Amino acid sequence: MRRILLGIGTLLIFSAGFLSCQKAEVEKEKAPSRALAPEEATGEYPYRRLSTYGFFEGEMNLLSPSEEIIYYNPASSLFTDYAWKSRFIHFPEGTKANLVDGELEFPVGTILIKNFYYPTDFRKPENGRRIIETRLMIHETKGWQAYPYLWNEEQTDAVLKIVGAETEVSFIDYNGKEQVINYLVPNKNQCKSCHNKNEALAPIGVQIKHLNNTLDYGMEMENQLVHWAKLEKLEGFDSPENHPSLINYEDKGQALDERAKAYLDINCSHCHRAEGPASTSGLFLTYDEKEPLKLGVNKTPVAAGKGAGSFKYDIVPGKADESILTHRMNSTEIGVAMPELGRTSIHKEGVELIREWINSMEKSK
Amino acid sequence: MKRISFYLLALLMVLGIYSCGTSTTEQTFDTSKIRRASAEETEQIIEAFILAEDSTTIDIPEGFYSLSTQLILDNKKNISIKGAGMDKTVLSFKDLKSGGEGVKIVGQGITIEDLSIEDAPGDGIKAQHTDGITFRRINVTWTNGNKSKNGTYAIYPVQCKNVLIDECIASHSKDAGIYVGQSENIVVKNSLAFGNVAGIEIENCDNAEVFGNVARDNSGGILVFNLPGLPKSDGKNTKIYNNEVRDNNHKNFAVPIGEDPNGNTVTMIPPGSGIVLLAAKDVEIFGNKIHRNKTVGVAIASYQVTGFPAEAPNWSPYTTGIYVHDNSYERKSFSIPDFTRELGKMVAVYNAHGFGKAQDIVYDGIWDENLSKTIDSNPMKICISENMEGLRFSRFYLMEGEDKIDSFDDYQKFQNCKVSVTTNLSFLQIP
Repeated sequence: MRRILLGIGTLLIFSAGFLSCQKAEVEKEKAPSRALAPEEATGEYPYRRLSTYGFFEGEMNLLSPSEEIIYYNPASSLFTDYAWKSRFIHFPEGTKANLVDGELEFPVGTILIKNFYYPTDFRKPENGRRIIETRLMIHETKGWQAYPYLWNEEQTDAVLKIVGAETEVSFIDYNGKEQVINYLVPNKNQCKSCHNKNEALAPIGVQIKHLNNTLDYGMEMENQLVHWAKLEKLEGFDSPENHPSLINYEDKGQALDERAKAYLDINCSHCHRAEGPASTSGLFLTYDEKEPLKLGVNKTPVAAGKGAGSFKYDIVPGKADESILTHRMNSTEIGVAMPELGRTSIHKEGVELIREWINSMEKSK
Repeated sequence: MKRISFYLLALLMVLGIYSCGTSTTEQTFDTSKIRRASAEETEQIIEAFILAEDSTTIDIPEGFYSLSTQLILDNKKNISIKGAGMDKTVLSFKDLKSGGEGVKIVGQGITIEDLSIEDAPGDGIKAQHTDGITFRRINVTWTNGNKSKNGTYAIYPVQCKNVLIDECIASHSKDAGIYVGQSENIVVKNSLAFGNVAGIEIENCDNAEVFGNVARDNSGGILVFNLPGLPKSDGKNTKIYNNEVRDNNHKNFAVPIGEDPNGNTVTMIPPGSGIVLLAAKDVEIFGNKIHRNKTVGVAIASYQVTGFPAEAPNWSPYTTGIYVHDNSYERKSFSIPDFTRELGKMVAVYNAHGFGKAQDIVYDGIWDENLSKTIDSNPMKICISENMEGLRFSRFYLMEGEDKIDSFDDYQKFQNCKVSVTTNLSFLQIP
């Protein structure tokens, strides 16, 4: 009797398993349309679809901002496989940011919007583009949260994808050369590998030092922080002169040392600082770091593994080609390449800038 | 000096072959026959890590999971991550596309147990800023035939508090298999480290006990280091006892064979090293079986021997307060010390017992001249209480550079003293 029951039981489990498998498959086929099914803007984030937030007017892929969001742009930009980026910030109605002790504090409900796209031809960006992803950082009651949205092929909407993704992107670069990049969308928790301040998720671009500069708003040119203050979106900001301002490392009119520090700050210091995950290394690359050892000058690595190549020090003054810093920037090999996330290609212009900077340092005797 | 060079050349040519060191790609488990998990199953595991709620368990059923993205547990409390067994649940990061480590953990009260991690391009599993982290029956390894492609650390808690590593296996990492860095309150026990450059390494840590482990077939068995310029600037109080530290004669593959050491200190470790102390503070070493390490059983060294800049805030390059007692020593027969690393050559050529003779205990004899004019008063408190009959001890003299290297078999200077090293493991009682 027991055996028969067992037999029936097994049969049931098998057939149930079979049925549920079939069901799963049907569901999978339907998945894209379900994900794009209409969704209501309940105010409970995150939404499944990017369109539900209503950030953009008209055809979504034009990324034309609604009145709800403000365009912003940090002085220097983190290198992400040559992707172009457009950024916006949304403040909940009637709220504003506060400047306290040199740090921007944002109200709950603030949303940072960052679109990653590639023009088909970098020389003629007006000729069309492909938007890959839009990353949202939402300031919730429990702190900032990061949500990556992956754009569909039709470029009509983007869907929340927390486990990350991979997609091939091709474009024609400034020199007219065809480039193909294996673009990686990070998984949700990888966002924090960079956006990390004392293990809390933290924005990178919306800091005073990155925004204290003039931006072209189309109708006018204005300091971004002054602009926010005028819109009553910023409290406690007196005047640009009283706050640090980073330069754009691409601006060749600026001093080499300044440009190099600006580059390292935006590309490396989110990890390489006392409050960041790479504090373990003792290598600190914020723009205001003055101590040579902390900047990597004649500093031996700690846990670099194969990242050290055949070199002894992070920076050997006057010898960029013997410095671990440039070695790791100039590699795409995982385990060697720095930064660890966000690029599968080499930022040639960045490597060149840091090479020039190290070579300009006086050689140790 | 000239004569030594001549001998060196001649002997290097003849014995070079013998001194090369061994190599192994031994695997503890055959994971090739484990059922391959589907893409959906793998995605579920990634989601489970991302969506984990405090005080829950993440179960990873039997299967071989091929991951192309990192598994990150982000700032969660009281989470247990549980596989079906080291030989049943395998997380393979061979296809990882970006990220410094396969598994990354941040939080409080985290336990990970009963699974294997393979082929992470950087580190196998890293825990950072975690108070209360237990690794139990975790096997972390690399399956590449060519070991130069292997990752850096297998099991890697850093900037953590209350760390327990128990019954784990770490093999074939290019740096240290079990590496605890810049942490406090640490127990590494009943674990196995083999085929790594360094077996077990405690670096810039406070209050650590390493016992009941087997460190075999690495280049160096167990290391206690303090490196300069780190946020946790110096570390002290480590006990190393009842371990088997044997046959650590593996090639040092931290840099490609034939290449000179780079800035990673581990690249300088001579194959055939049992226990190595570098700029270590307050370490007690007792009851260990230190057998068949072809270059040196216990090496006590200051950071100056690396030749790297030896100045940093709140950090001292000297090794001080060392108590070595009641260990069992056995030298490898028919073998000569390592000649591939400077420190190996130093032992092989300049030791106090004769050219090419392996040593049981060496002390680099570098002392702080601000404390004493001579080393005779044992200013760095190096205490060796072993039955020295039949043991080879060398104290080097390196204070005047390479041209005046000398050595002495004067262990008597370092006997008849004790160092009391205090550790406190009360954290282990916390459930």
